[in-house]
Amino acid sequence: MKNNGKRSSDRSGKRYAMLIDLRKCIGCNACSLACKSEYDVPLSVFRTWVKRVEKGKYPYAREFFLPIVCNHCENPICVTVCPVGASIQREDGIVYIDPHRCIGCRYCMASCPYGVRYINPNLGIAEKCTWCFHRVDAGLDPACIEACPTQAMLFGDLHDPKSPIARAVAENAVQVIKPEIGTDPHAFYIGLDKAAVETVSFEEEEP
Amino acid sequence: MDSQVLYNIIPQEAFGLFIATYFYLTGLSAGSFILSTLSYGFGFEKFKPLGRVGIVLATFLLVLAPLFLLFHVGAPLRSWHLFVYLNFSSPITWGSFLLILYPINCIIYGTFMFLEKKKPTRIFGLIGIPLAIAVHGYTGFIVAFGKARALWNTALMPILFLVSAIVSGIALMILVEMVRSRFFSKEKKINKDLINSLSKILAWSIVVDLFLVFSDLAVLSISHADAQAAAQLILHGKFFPMFVLLENILGKIVPFIILVVPRFRKTIPVIVAALLVIIGIFFMRYVVVVGGEFIPLI
Repeated sequence: MKNNGKRSSDRSGKRYAMLIDLRKCIGCNACSLACKSEYDVPLSVFRTWVKRVEKGKYPYAREFFLPIVCNHCENPICVTVCPVGASIQREDGIVYIDPHRCIGCRYCMASCPYGVRYINPNLGIAEKCTWCFHRVDAGLDPACIEACPTQAMLFGDLHDPKSPIARAVAENAVQVIKPEIGTDPHAFYIGLDKAAVETVSFEEEEP
Repeated sequence: MDSQVLYNIIPQEAFGLFIATYFYLTGLSAGSFILSTLSYGFGFEKFKPLGRVGIVLATFLLVLAPLFLLFHVGAPLRSWHLFVYLNFSSPITWGSFLLILYPINCIIYGTFMFLEKKKPTRIFGLIGIPLAIAVHGYTGFIVAFGKARALWNTALMPILFLVSAIVSGIALMILVEMVRSRFFSKEKKINKDLINSLSKILAWSIVVDLFLVFSDLAVLSISHADAQAAAQLILHGKFFPMFVLLENILGKIVPFIILVVPRFRKTIPVIVAALLVIIGIFFMRYVVVVGGEFIPLI
């Protein structure tokens, strides 16, 4: 267990990462569904979801999908600001919330640049995507990865140069969401579109 | 390029009205406390009538304020975690201690004041000043550490919060002192001299506040895309009525004119000015907290 986003910089241990190939994503939401059932996520909240953006005008239009998971940042601001140390970064980079310690103050929600956290309406505590560390520790892939029918999602150890994810990240042009914010996110995307990550401006958002 | 979002989830509100109210009340408390120490801590005899009302108000408001935190948190029965599991990089952890130390110091200081023991009153008054500044300043850090939100993530935030705390505190003291001297003092008459001095301090504090708001906005509106969107939101968007009209025109510029023009500086206009300031600062907290998290992140 480590705190305050100060992971040791040695590359001997594991560093989990996720790669989502948006060229292969068909927006089927199998990942969202697998996540919902894996964790019994309450109604009205989501640990992972697929944002859909339409670009262009018919007939020259295309729909883009952006599956969103927790980025398990290298410098997670949620871990920095959690007043009770309930947000914890593991040695392997996975950030999770201790459900017995969280008081539901929502500071992590206020500061997370990716908006992936929510308050569980039944328990009053913060929850988010954990990259299924209970499955990963047992040698399995996260639930969303296993559910993806087009194999658009890849999960593994970035520090192992022979692992499929390390090779894919090395050999492809990858992008992360909001690199400028300085959290060093570890959910990588291939084919990330500008329109898909732009936050909706307030004029457009009003119906 | 035309693009539109077809589906996205609506994020939950993180802070909202309760936290804005909490910031507002701690600000009023810190402002009242600082005014109460003008005579008992620094020896400005003119402000002596403010000493007792100031400390009573400061203590009362600071007991009231954390109740809003209890309403806000999802698991209030676990509040004791804040004192057992510490994370010193989190401003809320700083606050857990300040919210204990500051009211205790207020009570000690107030007790010595009512017992008319000059020296200990002075000592605890002076200890209280950094505490009062910290107890409100830390709330500015809470907001400023929310690095995802352009409106929050500025180093100006703690000082902006402090100055607006002092502004609202002085306005509140003007009202309370008028009521006290008019109805509860021996003379049953408003102390014009004292109110005039307070009015002047208030007017110039408003100028400092306006300058800070201006520098914040000026930098926001030429900064990165999110910052520009935030500046647009409060200047022209949904928060325009609250930010421009209620907070800055009615809450600062109008009271400033009333307070500096001698012709307007009569009892009723000063009451109006003080009320406008008190309401305006509430909207300042609301715009910062709710406006700050209004623009979606993803």
